[in-house]
Amino acid sequence: MSNSHSYSKRASSGAQYSGQRSRGLVFGAVVTLFFLGYLGHLFSLQVIEGQFHATRALSLSRRGATLAAPRGEIFDRHADKPIAGNRTSFTIQLNPARVPNGQHAELFSDLAELLDVPVAQLNDRVPPSSYHIHQEIDVLTWAKMEKVTHLAEHIHEFPGVSWITTPVRTYPESETMAHLLGHVGRITSRELQVLYNEGYHSSSILGKSGIEQQYDQQLQGIDGRRIGIFDAHGRSVTERETEIVPPEPGDNLVLTVDRHIQQLAAEALGERLGSVVVLKPNTGEILAMVSYPSFDPNTLYGRQSNSALAQLQTDDRAPFLNRAVQSSYPPASTFKILLTAAALEEDLIGPDDIIYAHPVYRIGNRVVREWRPNGFGSLNITQALANSSNVFFATLGNEYIGTDLLLSYATEFGFGALTGIDLPGERAGVVPSREWKQNEFNTAWVQGDTVNISIGQGFLDVTPLQLANMVALLVNDGRLYRPHLLKEVRDGVDGTVLGRVEPEVIAEVGLSQDTLALVRGAMREVVRSGTASSVITTPSVAIAGKTGTAEVDAASENWHSWFVAYGPYDTDNPDEQVVVAVMVEAENKWEWWAPRAANVIFHGIFSDMSYEESRLDLQQRRLLW
Amino acid sequence: MHETRSHSIFEFDILLFFSVLLLTIVGILFIYSSGVTSTGIVFSSEYVRQIIWAGIGLLLMLTVAFTDYRVYRDVAVYLFVAMLLLLVITLLFGRVVNGARRWLGLWQFGIQPSEFAKLAFILVVAKYLDYVANGIRKLPTFVLGMLLVIPPTLLIAVQPDLGTAAVFFPLYIVMAFVAGAKASHVGFFILSGVCVLLFTLLPTYEQFVLERHSPLISVLSESGPVTILLASLVLVVLLAIIGRVVTKRRWFTAIAYGVSIPALGVAASVFVRGFLRPYHQLMRLVVFLDPSIDPRGAGWNTIQSVTAVGSGGVWGKGFLQGTQSHFQYLPQQSTDFIFSIIAEEWGFIGAFGIFILFFLILLRAVLILGYAKDAFGAYVAAGVAGMIFTHFVVNIGMAMGILPITGLPLFFLSYGGSTLWTGMIGVGLLLSVYNRKYR
Repeated sequence: MSNSHSYSKRASSGAQYSGQRSRGLVFGAVVTLFFLGYLGHLFSLQVIEGQFHATRALSLSRRGATLAAPRGEIFDRHADKPIAGNRTSFTIQLNPARVPNGQHAELFSDLAELLDVPVAQLNDRVPPSSYHIHQEIDVLTWAKMEKVTHLAEHIHEFPGVSWITTPVRTYPESETMAHLLGHVGRITSRELQVLYNEGYHSSSILGKSGIEQQYDQQLQGIDGRRIGIFDAHGRSVTERETEIVPPEPGDNLVLTVDRHIQQLAAEALGERLGSVVVLKPNTGEILAMVSYPSFDPNTLYGRQSNSALAQLQTDDRAPFLNRAVQSSYPPASTFKILLTAAALEEDLIGPDDIIYAHPVYRIGNRVVREWRPNGFGSLNITQALANSSNVFFATLGNEYIGTDLLLSYATEFGFGALTGIDLPGERAGVVPSREWKQNEFNTAWVQGDTVNISIGQGFLDVTPLQLANMVALLVNDGRLYRPHLLKEVRDGVDGTVLGRVEPEVIAEVGLSQDTLALVRGAMREVVRSGTASSVITTPSVAIAGKTGTAEVDAASENWHSWFVAYGPYDTDNPDEQVVVAVMVEAENKWEWWAPRAANVIFHGIFSDMSYEESRLDLQQRRLLW
Repeated sequence: MHETRSHSIFEFDILLFFSVLLLTIVGILFIYSSGVTSTGIVFSSEYVRQIIWAGIGLLLMLTVAFTDYRVYRDVAVYLFVAMLLLLVITLLFGRVVNGARRWLGLWQFGIQPSEFAKLAFILVVAKYLDYVANGIRKLPTFVLGMLLVIPPTLLIAVQPDLGTAAVFFPLYIVMAFVAGAKASHVGFFILSGVCVLLFTLLPTYEQFVLERHSPLISVLSESGPVTILLASLVLVVLLAIIGRVVTKRRWFTAIAYGVSIPALGVAASVFVRGFLRPYHQLMRLVVFLDPSIDPRGAGWNTIQSVTAVGSGGVWGKGFLQGTQSHFQYLPQQSTDFIFSIIAEEWGFIGAFGIFILFFLILLRAVLILGYAKDAFGAYVAAGVAGMIFTHFVVNIGMAMGILPITGLPLFFLSYGGSTLWTGMIGVGLLLSVYNRKYR
C-alpha cells in the first residue's frame, strides 16, 4: 500500500462502516459555510464598519468631567472671615456590576459596618435588580473624611466601591444670618428649564433664597471641564492626553452687614416672632437684618436635608419668612412721625399750635380712644407725638391734613412700594387710596378710613424695612438711599475689588430744615419724656424714636410692638448714625419688647458690646427695667 | 508494511498539533494582555497558570494520542456514569463561583466537571452508535440515543450553566448524522431545537425589544392560549397519523412531520421558560438583538464586545494597545471574550489567522474521521470536531454580537484549565485515531 492513501480506498476497505466519509464531508461543508459566513460578518464589522466602531470606542472612553467651580465666599463688612464658605465632603459610590456575583450581600454588610449606616440603606440604593448595571450609584453622601480614609486603606476588600469629592456650603453664623444669606440646594428640573441658557446644568448647586439666590450668578463662577480618557471604572487613564479647562471660581461678596451687630440684634430679639432692621441712613447700608424664627441653612444641604426641609416647611410659624422684608403690618403709632412731618411741612399746624385732645374722637361709627383713659387735654404737636395721642393725630389727619395729602406723603416716603433691597421676595405693603378701597371692598372711602390711617391702623400695611426707611429719610434731610446688603464684589482668587455698590438715592422728599428739626426733636422727646422714656435707658447714645402698639383685633389682649428710632440724635458726623427698627409680633407674650430690644441694641452698638455685655452693663447701672 | 508505519511515533498529524499549539500560545499572550490595566500594571497572574495548564495539557494530549483510543470504547460507559456522578457531587458540594455551582475543588485546585463531561459524552455516544451500527437509521434507535443527552444537560443546566448544558444536543446531532442517521430525522430535531429557542425567546423579545403587545407572540406566553395552541397542534398531528394509517397516503406523514416540529417547540419552550425565568437569563438571551435597550445592564457585554472587535479594524490597535480591553470596558476578557481582545489588538488580520487555525483543526478532524480505521474512531473524531465547532460558533458569534451571551469559552484560547484540558484531550483523541488509521 502506498503513501498516498485515498478516501475511496479507506472506504472500500472498512467493512464495518458505511458512509461516515460522505457524512463527514457534509459536516465539513457545513463547517465551511459557517466559517465563510462568520468571516463575512467579521469583515463587515472590522473592515467596513471599523471606523464607526473605532469612533465609538473612543467616545466610550473619552469623557468630559465637570470640574465644579468653587462657589464664591460671602463676607460681612469687616471682610475678615467668611459668613458663607465651602468645605469638602465625600460621596461614596458603588458600581454594582464590579462586585463579583453572589458577593453583594457580604460586601454590603461590611461596607455598612465601615460607614456606620444601616445595611437597609445600601440595599435600598442598590437593589438586586441593579446588580448587573455598570454605573456608579451614590450610596452615601456627606461621608466624613475619616470614613473615606478608612475605606481607602481597605479599598481592595471593596471591589466596585469608589468616592468622589463634592464641595459643601457652610454657614458659620448658622441661624443668625439665615434669612439674609439664604441657602443653596441642588437645582430642580423646573429651575433648570428657566436657567439652562445661563450656563446652569443638571448638577448645579443653586442659591435658593437670600443673598445666595440674589447674587447666584456672581457666586457660581464658571465650571471647568476635564476631557480625558477614562477606563470603565471612571479612572483617568492618562494625564498627558487630558485637556483641562480650569474652573473659574465664583466672585466673593462683601456685605454691608456687621456680624457683631447682627448677632447683637438677633440676641436682643431673642425667641420672639418678629424682626429687626439696623441700617445706616446716610448710605442705605443694612447693618443687621434679623427675623425670628430662623433656620440653620447648614442642615438644608446635607445628609438630613430632606427631613430638615420638610420640618421647616410644615412649621406654621413660617421660619423661611424673612419678616423684615416679607411681612407687612399696620405701623400703628410709629406712623404719627409721618403725620408730624407732613403737617409741619405743609404749614397746616405751627409748632406751638394747640389741639385739645378729648378722651374720645368720633367720626361716623369710628371711635378713637386715648390709651390714657382721661385723655391728654391741650397738646402741641411735640407733646402729642411724645405722648402718642391718638385723638390729636386723628384730628390732625382728618381735619388738618386730609386724606389725599396724607396718602401722597405716605407714598412719597416709600410706603406701598418695594424698597428695592437686594433680596428676593420683598413685599411692598399697602398704602390704600380711594380707588383701591373701591376695587377691594366695593365701598367708598369714608373719613373713618382717614382717621384709621392717621393712627397707623386700618388698611395701611408696612414692612419693618419701610418703617426704618421712613426714619432714615428724616435723619438724612429728606433723602432716602436704597437699602442694600452688597458692599463689594471681590475676585474669588486674589481678592481684588471688582466692584463697589455706591449709595443710590431712591426718594427725595422736600422737607425744610425747620420741619426736620421739629420732627427729630419730637422723636427725641418721645424718648426723653414721652412713651419710651422708661425703657430707652442707654446712656451711651442719645436716641430719638417712636413706639407703636398695633391692634391685631379688638378681642386680642396682645398687640404688635414696634419701635423705630435713630441715634445719635444730634451729630456732626452723619456716618455714625444708625436707624433701628424692631417689630415684635402680637403672637408673643406681651412684654412691650420692641423698645426694650432697641435699647439693648443701641447700647451694644455705641458701647461696642455684645448682647450679654450690654445687658450686664445696663443692669449694673440700674438702667435695665 | 502497515506494522512499521503504525509503530512510528512521528506518524502523527503535525498540522493539527501545531495549529493547537499556536492557538494555545496566542491564548496565553492575550490572557496576559487581558491582565494588564490601562496604566500598564499587570494585575492578573492568570497567564502563568494558563502556561502551567498548557504544559500539563500538552502532556495529556500526547498521552492520549499515543494510547489506543479503542481502550476508551471499553470503558466509555463507566466513564460516562462516573462523570454523571461527578456532576451530581458538584451540585451537592461544588464551590459557588459567580453565582453558579460549577466547580469541584480540593484546596486551591478546582476543576469544572461539566467540561470533561463533554468528552465522556462523546465516548459513550460513539460507543452507542458503534453498537447500533446501521440501526441508527431507525427512528427509535435515533431517539433512544438522544436520551443520553438528557442527564448531563439537566445536571449542568441546574448549576446553572446554560451554555455548556446546551452543547450536548448539537454534539449528538453531529455524531448521529455522521453515523448515518436519516437526514429527515436529524432535520426534524434541528428544526425542533430552533423552534424551542424561538418560542422560548419570542415573549421576552416582545417584552424588552419590541416593547409593544403583539397578539401573535402573546399566545406563547399566556397559559390559556398556549394550552389551546398546543392542544390544536397535537390534534392535527394525531389526525394526520390516523389519516396516514387509514388512507396510507404519504402526504399525511408530511403533515404530521411538519406540524409536530412547532408542537414540540411550543411544548418545550413552556418548560424551558419556566426553568429559566428565576435565573434572569431570558433577558440576557434576548438583549443581543438590540443591546441598546439595556446598554449598562444586559446589553453592556454585547456592546462592549462588538465595539472592541469592530474598532480593531484591519490591522488592530497593536498588542497591549486595545482600549476596550485595557480600560476594562470589555468584561471577562480572558475567558468568554478572549476573541474580542484578539480582534481588537490584532485586527481583522489576526482574527482571520485565528479563523484559519480553527478551520485547519476542523478540516483535519473531518479528514481524520474519514481516515479512521473503525466506526468508533470516526464517531469520536466527529464528536470532537462537533465540540470544537460548537464552541467556536457560539463563542465567536457572541463576541461579534450575533448570538446571545451564553458564556461558552473558546477552546485553546480562553483562560481555564478544565476547558483547555478538555480541548487538548479531545485533540489527543483525534491524534490517536489518526495514529492508528492503518492498524
